[in-house]
Amino acid sequence: MKISIGPCLFDWGKQGISDFYKRMAFETEADILYIGEVVCSKRLHLSPQELIKLAEELKSSGKEIVLSMLGLVMTEEEQVEIRQMAQLAKEVGLHIEANDMASIGVGEGQPMVAGPHICSYNPETLDFLEEVGVDRVVLPVELSAKYISGIFRDVKSIESEVFAYGRLPLTFSARCYTARAFNLPKVNCQYKCGDYPDGMPMHTQENKQFLVINGIETMSELVYNLIGDLKTLQDMNIDILRLSPQSKNMADVVNIWKSAIKGKIGRKEALAKLLEINGNDPFCNGYFHERPGLEFI
Amino acid sequence: MNKIEVLAPAGNLPSLRAAVDNGADAVYFGFRNATNARNFEGLNFSEKEALEGLRYAHKSGVKANVVLNTFPQVDQPDIWYKTVDIAAKIGADAIILANLALLKYCREKHPDLPIHLSVQASASNYEAINFYKKHFNITRVILPRVLTVEEIKQLGSKTDIEMEVFAFGGLCVMAEGRCYLSSYVTGVSPNIEGVCSPARAVRFENRGDKLQTRLGNVLIAEYGADEDAAYPTICKGRFEANNRVYHTMEEPSSLNVLEMLPEVIEAGVVSLKIEGRQRTKSYVGTVTNTFRKAVDAYYESPEKFRPKGKWIKTLNTTSEGATHTLGTYQEDWQ
Repeated sequence: MKISIGPCLFDWGKQGISDFYKRMAFETEADILYIGEVVCSKRLHLSPQELIKLAEELKSSGKEIVLSMLGLVMTEEEQVEIRQMAQLAKEVGLHIEANDMASIGVGEGQPMVAGPHICSYNPETLDFLEEVGVDRVVLPVELSAKYISGIFRDVKSIESEVFAYGRLPLTFSARCYTARAFNLPKVNCQYKCGDYPDGMPMHTQENKQFLVINGIETMSELVYNLIGDLKTLQDMNIDILRLSPQSKNMADVVNIWKSAIKGKIGRKEALAKLLEINGNDPFCNGYFHERPGLEFI
Repeated sequence: MNKIEVLAPAGNLPSLRAAVDNGADAVYFGFRNATNARNFEGLNFSEKEALEGLRYAHKSGVKANVVLNTFPQVDQPDIWYKTVDIAAKIGADAIILANLALLKYCREKHPDLPIHLSVQASASNYEAINFYKKHFNITRVILPRVLTVEEIKQLGSKTDIEMEVFAFGGLCVMAEGRCYLSSYVTGVSPNIEGVCSPARAVRFENRGDKLQTRLGNVLIAEYGADEDAAYPTICKGRFEANNRVYHTMEEPSSLNVLEMLPEVIEAGVVSLKIEGRQRTKSYVGTVTNTFRKAVDAYYESPEKFRPKGKWIKTLNTTSEGATHTLGTYQEDWQ
């Protein structure tokens, strides 16, 4: 069972992103790194050429590198960019991770990962995706263990990847909610999301933790964590577990997961360590257990 | 000149008749199960009712589209495939699909049944739309509510697929088919079970002079005595962010494009969709009637078109929160 580091969903700036993935590449036992901007094309993210350069550098660590693409493609500029990324990926032999059907379209015929924002809800959908080049699927985050097993049961030639750790990406909108929080229009957002490395908390009127705002994306405030379900995931023969970048101690998070997978530490011990890293904030894992996503079973 | 189509919702036969009698060019409806995104108690059609509705519409030259816009569940996909067959059998004018596997099935099994790509497929760009055209020969796309009218116009220049847009009604502000807010709180996925903010998870609670609305255990909004409480959907909730309490995502208001009708038509849109299969026949009749008048007035003299005050007033009486918005169609909303 492999570990992947998902695409960074927050705006950590060019330098922040590069430094983070270099640390993941050279200081952790992660197997796969997904790089590329998924949330907002306005962010001053790495250009396709810069991403390829970073990918080449990261590859020297021996890890697999995948180029993640935008989750919600709306404009001409965005379509130009995904075409360029798909072409470059093809030239240097990298997979792309499609997160909008636009990327499945431009990447058709080349090796692709269908990311968590592609509606892969049943095995028949996977069959179709395979015909157009998909050989790995990250299922929508809202699916339960039972459902995930059902989807992958008879699918042999597609690798299975499950979102296992991190704030859950729950939805995209055309509207930027971070800009809205500052009464700014999206066209003049002043890149406020750069000030919220784990998203801006959105609490209920009873001051309970609920969601975080991350530009045009809304996420869970609770960190989703399937460490307690590791045995189930192993029994299900899931190929890859995705850990989604959080701002604090991600290298430690990766190594705790890796130790747990290898059986060097138990699930309880791993959970306790992750809890400590998470500042003793509770986790959620309800989706995996056919419950509301925000619950922890 | 082909007029833009007024496309009305039908949650049951009386609503369908109200739509047809009030000048709809086309209606859309779904079946009474999880195969469509308005899987509410007491709503939608049996096969027999669908056939009756279809006959009623066709008698007046009105088209009838069948909605099948959720994703087949892994342990009981048959009901979705059977529903595709039923839509073809009863002679629907089009079928509205979102799932890749169903699109493939429908195209192979029923090559002559026109396919409209559902908003639930979240195809907000020509690369995606043209991909669906290439593989499934779709004839129309129902655009997600994420584009400005200017972007719709640009999109139209890059594809020959017909574009349908939401013109009126409940405003989903997220990329539909890929939104998990409701399941995060209720455990029920709109994408596979067909219901967002299910009624069984909703509570209205009086707390002194305050009214609280909840979805599951989450407080969605607290209202003062002088405020109207909206149905608790998360994206219309009132939360605290950046040290203030406000509708963090969107106010509980309705979409209404009337003010931009000329721009929408000139952008190349062919169909105006009225949302609200869960609403009453009186809502359907009133909104359809008003849009019929507005569209006809536009074609009588396009350059002089202005939405009439009484149309807006009539539409506002049907709206959630009695206010309306142009939503994403104008850039400053974003």
